Amino acid sequence: MAGVAGGGGGGGGNDFQWCFSQVKGAIDEDVAEADIISTVEFNYSGDLLATGDKGGRVVIFQREQENKSRPHSRGEYNVYSTFQSHEPEFDYLKSLEIEEKINKIRWLPQQNAAHFLLSTNDKTIKLWKISERDKRAEGYNLKDEDGRLRDPFRITALRVPILKPMDLMVEASPRRIFANAHTYHINSISVNSDHETYLSADDLRINLWHLEITDRSFNIVDIKPANMEELTEVITASEFHPHHCNVFVYSSSKGTIRLCDMRSSALCDRHSKFFEEPEDPSSRSFFSEIISSISDVKFSHSGRYMMTRDYLSVKVWDLNMENRPVETYQVHEYLRSKLCSLYENDCIFDKFECCWNGSDSAIMTGSYNNFFRMFDRNTRRDITLEASRESSKPRAILKPRKVCTGGKRKKDEISVDSLDFNKKILHTAWHPTENIIAVAATNNLYIFQDKIN
Amino acid sequence: MGPAWVMEETGVPAAAARTKRSVKVTGVSLLRTRAMQGKGVKRPRGEMEGGEPEPQDPGAAPASSLFNISMVKLHQSLRRVEPNLRHLVLVANTLRRMQEQMQREAVGPAAPDSPEAPPVVDSPAPVSDSRDSGLEPCRPPPSDKQGDDLLLSTMDTSISTILEDLGQVEALSPARPEEEQPLAGASGARQEPARTSGPCLGPLELLSSASYLLEDGLEDIFEDIDTSMYDCDLWSPTSLSGFKAFSGAEDSDSKALAGAEDRLDMSDLDYLMDVLVGGHAL
Repeated sequence: MAGVAGGGGGGGGNDFQWCFSQVKGAIDEDVAEADIISTVEFNYSGDLLATGDKGGRVVIFQREQENKSRPHSRGEYNVYSTFQSHEPEFDYLKSLEIEEKINKIRWLPQQNAAHFLLSTNDKTIKLWKISERDKRAEGYNLKDEDGRLRDPFRITALRVPILKPMDLMVEASPRRIFANAHTYHINSISVNSDHETYLSADDLRINLWHLEITDRSFNIVDIKPANMEELTEVITASEFHPHHCNVFVYSSSKGTIRLCDMRSSALCDRHSKFFEEPEDPSSRSFFSEIISSISDVKFSHSGRYMMTRDYLSVKVWDLNMENRPVETYQVHEYLRSKLCSLYENDCIFDKFECCWNGSDSAIMTGSYNNFFRMFDRNTRRDITLEASRESSKPRAILKPRKVCTGGKRKKDEISVDSLDFNKKILHTAWHPTENIIAVAATNNLYIFQDKIN
Repeated sequence: MGPAWVMEETGVPAAAARTKRSVKVTGVSLLRTRAMQGKGVKRPRGEMEGGEPEPQDPGAAPASSLFNISMVKLHQSLRRVEPNLRHLVLVANTLRRMQEQMQREAVGPAAPDSPEAPPVVDSPAPVSDSRDSGLEPCRPPPSDKQGDDLLLSTMDTSISTILEDLGQVEALSPARPEEEQPLAGASGARQEPARTSGPCLGPLELLSSASYLLEDGLEDIFEDIDTSMYDCDLWSPTSLSGFKAFSGAEDSDSKALAGAEDRLDMSDLDYLMDVLVGGHAL
């Protein structure tokens, strides 16, 4: 099914609209820092939706089976498992606390009844197994029903334990802990298409791991200069190609993307391709570099394109063309004249993520004031929607929002100066095959889906 | 069913599933809360623009407030024991860009915005006179421009030194034990040109690492020893990171800059080192 973003409000011929489905999280205005959602990710089938937060917890939602009595209502996502993935740690050598905030979650493709995911904080990656248990054994020989050991001399007969059904229990257990390989803060993890290896990237290095081996990893990119005084650039994101297991990309704080082929050399310091758009001299300012810093890079599902998010725009690149992107979408161009203030309050350093829909025909990214934007690559239409409690009635259609940049403010428009920069949507996710999206707004998770006509 | 969790659409808060834990507020977010009001409150237009118009001419020097803001950011970034490298690098690059622009303007032909130029001509003792009389040549009174230059050169060297210190920090990390980085030597040499405050960082880093290595088993040894004389902020990371402060930097938010107060005399360091090494032998 093609996922298409609806056109601007009021236009004729729209056959697609987004509706509110669910919201998870506390309502009260006082937001606990630990509850702030820091990552959102659907699994490969879309039946599971994982979130990580600043408190180091992972909450997994599962989509309920569709209800036959209400065929028009899609399956809802309900809590499936909650566990503490990372705890705050103290590095005694450097005398600093390592945050437990979950930076990224990546699912592994499902190979058996259990589900596996990788979750990472600044320093340590963990492989978690989430499995269901709905039976238990009764009738052990060596221990009583309450677990006490029986005296062996009193056992006069042997019996075979019987499996009996029990209430479904979902257990999460850490299967691997990949630690002590990153000096700097991990910003990305990416599972390879071979399903055996994955990469982890921090500010200056990228390491390649085998999922079975925790005591060593291969360093495949190292941009740390011999003299740290020459440091001018850091790695901001990295991802494996969805089909070619030897290819990965990484983006930098200077707005460049390097594509590397692991077959060419063990240490991929020399890129195979270098993507950079020449700077527009007319819009050059002291903030040019900061706003060109790439905060996210994502391959399309097809593997032919990749998308990058910088502060003001989203760009789609054809992997065969290095000198400029094939498409550029302005997310919130009205902020360009406010860069000074945004620099002062550090908002200019916010790292927004972006995502593709299942068919690569649309892309989505977040903005401020709990707005998020969707762009249809075919029709070139875009829409701005808001994740708010006010428009959270079941199956309520979301109304497109518009920011007024100057002059007369129309009704229902909001002016740039009224935007709430504390309400930022940094993390969004799109279901791999259907038009269901998950949007993280601080400590709330919104789920929207398309309205079936 | 999964474990009980917070709320569904009914909005009923669960009990202790999500404990509210306070997280320390760093300097960066303080800046943010100071500048921004709460949720959805309309801000007057002037406040939003930060009181300073954007420099329209890309070739123009940055407004001094922008420069000061950047300096504050750099300091705050460095106050943290483990700075956010991306933030640090971006701010440092932006500062360098401003510095280049300011230097370009300083070198350029005398412009109406440099009132400091005339004082150079009015300096009391021209060079030729001092040579004849043997007096010390009088330098022109330090103008703001020269102060700026000193600031800029200090900043540039300091940024480099700071980033180099980050490399030293990594040398102490268990993640890359095979790397050998010169600790004292490089930083000592590097700090020569512009550092006007305090002894070099190298020995203190050695000291802090030495104390870590001796840490195991030290508690028992020192139980009956009165350590009140050493119970200062000697070992706290903030006093060590104070060495990364600039000297000469003028900014209003700089009360946290360590500078001279946190300096330790070399004699104190030697004495303490002796005590530690002697104590271990007990």
